[in-house]
Amino acid sequence: MLLIQVNPGLDIMIKYQWLFPATECVHIIGFALTIGTIALVDFGLLGFGFRREATGQLVRSTAPWTLSGLILIIFSGLLLFSTDPDHYYSNRAFQIKVTCLAVAILLNYTIHRKVALSKNDSGAFAHLVGAISLALWISVVFGGLFIGFTT
Amino acid sequence: MSFYSFAHWLERREWALDFSASSYAYPIVLATHLSCIAVFGGMVLVTNFRLLGWALTCYPISDVMRKLRFWKRLGFLLMVTSGLLMAGSEAGKYYGNPFFWTKVALLALIGVHALVFRRSVYRKTTELDLAPVVPGHAKLAAAASLILWTGVVCAGRLIGYYI
Repeated sequence: MLLIQVNPGLDIMIKYQWLFPATECVHIIGFALTIGTIALVDFGLLGFGFRREATGQLVRSTAPWTLSGLILIIFSGLLLFSTDPDHYYSNRAFQIKVTCLAVAILLNYTIHRKVALSKNDSGAFAHLVGAISLALWISVVFGGLFIGFTT
Repeated sequence: MSFYSFAHWLERREWALDFSASSYAYPIVLATHLSCIAVFGGMVLVTNFRLLGWALTCYPISDVMRKLRFWKRLGFLLMVTSGLLMAGSEAGKYYGNPFFWTKVALLALIGVHALVFRRSVYRKTTELDLAPVVPGHAKLAAAASLILWTGVVCAGRLIGYYI
């Protein structure tokens, strides 16, 4: 309730009805950027696309875009959230999504990055990290979509 | 048979009725469609960014294109399959939806884009690598591709608002 009272985003979203779908579009482009660049590294860790030996270069080269996308997603996401905080907060799919997102971001900037940059990690561990990362990010997308289909 | 009656015939097929009757089928297929935007749409973005010199500049253009070609094709196949499932199961509704037709028109333009730039850009990647700077027409191809695909994503999202 406090969020609604001190929420400048909400007034704008109510006043301009097209803003919600427009924000959703920004949200989708944002996650294509973030998840797309991370998935490239995941594919590399799994031995596809840009292979294992290239993942360090891949991470460094795509990091600014991963972060730009993340900023877009979080900003647009908060704007969408602000329209009905109580509904989102108590929505099961939203809770799962946010949990997966937090873990995915944490993983991305810690173990995922470290494994991608290192040259002599065992193949099996790199495979595992790539698979977990990919699964987490896809769970975030599924969770996000299911917000609209669950209560 | 007109396209209109085809749409109504299509949505009365048994698979379409089953699809619509299930409360899980639509969201699961849509979530798959969206996951493909994330994973494979991201590859389209990155490829175009490479042509524009914004990302992956440590790799030759031909390298980026060759390594991602198979995956982008696989992604396209998954997107079209999931998209046709959704549109086909509710063909009557989609038929009257202007955003659906906007999306179809933009996809057709992407086909035209591929034909226009195939010879000068997409089959000339080794020449592009040898050029001291990426030539203007290759950057134009990348910019046009970014605009068209962004349009497809936005039109796709708006389909859901017109029912």
